[in-house]
Amino acid sequence: MANEDFSWPASPSVLGTRVKRLDGPDKVTGRAKYTFDIARPGMLYGRIVRSPYPHARVVSVDISPAQKMPGVKAALVWRDPANLQGNSQDARVMFQGDEVAAVAADTEEHAIDAARAIKVQYEVLPHVTVVEKALSGSAPEVFTGGNVRPAQPQKNGDLEAGFQAAAHTIEATYSTQVITHTCLESHGTVCEWNGDKLTAWISTQGINGARENFAKALSIPQANVRVICQYMGGGFGSKALSVGAEGLICAKLAKAANAPVKLMLDRKEEHLATGNRPSAASKVKVGVSADGLITAIDAETWGTGGAGATAGFPMPYIYQIPNRQRTHKDVFINAAQQRPMRAPGHPQGSFNTEIMMDELADKVNMDPVEFRIKNLPPEAPNAMWRSYLREGAAEFGWSRRHPTGDRTSSPIKTGMGVSINTWGGGGRGPAPAHCEIASDGGVVMRLGTQDLGTGTRTLVAVVTADSLGLQPNQVRPEIGDTLYGVSPTSGGSTTAASISPGIRVAAVKALDTLKEKVAPALGVDPASLVAQGGRIQVKDDPAKGLSWADACKHIGPQPIVADGDWRPGLSSNTTSGAQFAEVTVDVETGIVKVTRVLVVQDCGLVVSRLTAESQCYGGVIGSLNFALFEDRILDRNTGQMVNPNMEWYLLAGMSDIPRIDVRLKNQPERGVVGIGEPPTVSTAAAIALAVRNAIGVTVRSLPLTPARVLATLAEQKAVGQQKA
Amino acid sequence: MATNDKPTTGMNVNRRNFLKSAGVAGLAETIVTHGDAAAQTGPTPVGPGETPVRLNVNGKNIDLMIEPRVTLLDALRTRANLTGNKRGCDRGACGACTMLVDGHTVYSCSTLAIEVQGKQIRTVDGLANGSELHPVQQAFCDKDALMCGFCTPGFIVASVGLLEKHPNPTPEQIKKGLDGNICRCGTFARIFEAVSSVKGAPRG
Repeated sequence: MANEDFSWPASPSVLGTRVKRLDGPDKVTGRAKYTFDIARPGMLYGRIVRSPYPHARVVSVDISPAQKMPGVKAALVWRDPANLQGNSQDARVMFQGDEVAAVAADTEEHAIDAARAIKVQYEVLPHVTVVEKALSGSAPEVFTGGNVRPAQPQKNGDLEAGFQAAAHTIEATYSTQVITHTCLESHGTVCEWNGDKLTAWISTQGINGARENFAKALSIPQANVRVICQYMGGGFGSKALSVGAEGLICAKLAKAANAPVKLMLDRKEEHLATGNRPSAASKVKVGVSADGLITAIDAETWGTGGAGATAGFPMPYIYQIPNRQRTHKDVFINAAQQRPMRAPGHPQGSFNTEIMMDELADKVNMDPVEFRIKNLPPEAPNAMWRSYLREGAAEFGWSRRHPTGDRTSSPIKTGMGVSINTWGGGGRGPAPAHCEIASDGGVVMRLGTQDLGTGTRTLVAVVTADSLGLQPNQVRPEIGDTLYGVSPTSGGSTTAASISPGIRVAAVKALDTLKEKVAPALGVDPASLVAQGGRIQVKDDPAKGLSWADACKHIGPQPIVADGDWRPGLSSNTTSGAQFAEVTVDVETGIVKVTRVLVVQDCGLVVSRLTAESQCYGGVIGSLNFALFEDRILDRNTGQMVNPNMEWYLLAGMSDIPRIDVRLKNQPERGVVGIGEPPTVSTAAAIALAVRNAIGVTVRSLPLTPARVLATLAEQKAVGQQKA
Repeated sequence: MATNDKPTTGMNVNRRNFLKSAGVAGLAETIVTHGDAAAQTGPTPVGPGETPVRLNVNGKNIDLMIEPRVTLLDALRTRANLTGNKRGCDRGACGACTMLVDGHTVYSCSTLAIEVQGKQIRTVDGLANGSELHPVQQAFCDKDALMCGFCTPGFIVASVGLLEKHPNPTPEQIKKGLDGNICRCGTFARIFEAVSSVKGAPRG
């Protein structure tokens, strides 16, 4: 009799424990093969020719010099002015790094040489790369319909009444910068054709999405495309939505050369062409009542997502403001289009909102924690901020926080800040999983998902093992190949919640079959059997049972097979979290050091505690980078990126890392919710507020570079002197 | 990544020692003699075409025909199937390519293959003894000091280099020793934990 109860166990054996990453040994030994490491017989190397100009018309492309170069097997024009579909606008390159042509040669060095030999004539056009110029109308109009696209204004409540109820109002502008994903493994692909069938190894967050992309763009059936990604070196959103021009160029070069082609981008191409987090700015007028309720907000917001892409973000973020108005503008500039980046919009909305919160709290002389609690939506399982703020404050030593401005005489000032976050992270199907149990006791769980480095492979084994009473290393997860089935793209922290239910269902069904095969030998009813501690036995009676290996001997030559898919009830959505940060600021040099961060975070049922905690560490450090270091700098005159590398595009190193404590809350009754994104939302704001608490001055823009900190201090001093 | 120690092999002569030992009077003569010797036995120019290069990697000699411009990293990754160490930035900033050359950590993306002939090169591929992980590799697994794993080979080699030089490093030495490597997933806290846990353990 089939067991139709797939609910999560009341007392799990493996779920929620600290399981070591299954692919750890492969990664630490270098055995793990990433797309960058794939080698195929006769493989060529591809290289893309990119526009050096932020805006230009391609007049002509001559690939013939490249075709005569040593080792060159294929060359193609990607943006062909002689063969335009539709209007002449198609021959325009819209950003530095826009794709124009490509080559494939026997060695990477030959491919680089040949790419240099391709002759491209450009008609350089006026460009816009400064957001303020685009907004003010002083930039040349580059984009059809204008460089600025206003969104529909949003209105709630009665703004006028709200401001009338306010005892204090503040007016300020907050902003965050553009940053790039900077995945350590660049975007790239190895393509190999067999007739009209394509096999593509690609560094992607969605093997099935990539399959659809390739098929559609190359006009071949999806069934003719196999996509493989066993290991990938980070995506953070930039490898989620499409295979990109670089993927299609690789496939076309491989077709033209009739040989496998590997095309991995270099670091400069990564910064220029593979996406970014849009900037976000808010000019606000906001009112607060004498007892600390925010009564009204009037916000004018804008941001740039590059050439023709949106730059949305939530404003205000999380807090309840009854009377509000918002107008938003997407600003287009000649830079690569944005792609989703770890919690799209939320880190920006968090910074823009949270800095404002502390400025308001000071107006009414309230503690920032209490002020936040006063303005939060009601507590709920997916909105636990009140509890987390109180619990975190107690653990962090928030009571020792001094009022705004460290009054000690030392030039090294200390401060604390706090910030909260939310994220969806729900599951969806189809996300089928296939379970096999063989007579030798081997267990395979097979599904078409992929592991970005988040630990998905380990999660597959954890859920399977828990359901079968085994240890995770007794399960073989098979993922990362479209031959294993369809599964959603890994984006929006949805993977855990999408795949765990199907895995659970498949494992439980397979176990039911095993119980039916074992029960006659034990002379018991299959329904009385359980799988626990590596045995199939009568519940609480180990004597009436068999070891896993002996039980599986009853299976026969054909393995047990069972399938499951996502279903409601085993996952849910929306997380909540709070973070606290402590910093020191040297007011003579402007250098900010983060000393401590505390994370209080939930993600529903904790599946794999060790890897979930790692997501929190990673989220905090990513957000610390956003707060202090990262900045895509475009030269205001030439539109060129000034720092398309990793020595001037700054990222934290070991010496920049604070002590990080993670308090992961388990909510087993909610089922699985994703955790990749929420922990990276709020650290930047908490750090910025700790800096404000330390120096007594609000830095309203990121990143908090020494120069910006010193400039803000100097500005404040000048204002103080004027007043005196 | 600091490699300030004196080289352990090769000519241990620097400019200051040379001037001291030669003395001012003998200087001109010594230089002339040296110049003559170089003209007869010095290296002949190579390239730009392919040239034979022998590399000693993880205790084995590898013979390659490569252009002189090929880096140590690319020579091993694309010509010798040693893909453990990674290319992240290709200009000595991220550290994913970190290898040990005569015991010193180097950015192999910024080191030419022809320049390290005759030296002992160690990559992440050679650290484990069969299925037995090097203690640093084991510690990274135990502490979950990796996520996507792309930076991991560089961090492991840098950590091995650090621990061979300083078997019981202070927290400050660990931080400084690994400051030449970047992890984009943000595993630093656990890498620090992992390397700290190996302190004093026997190492091969």
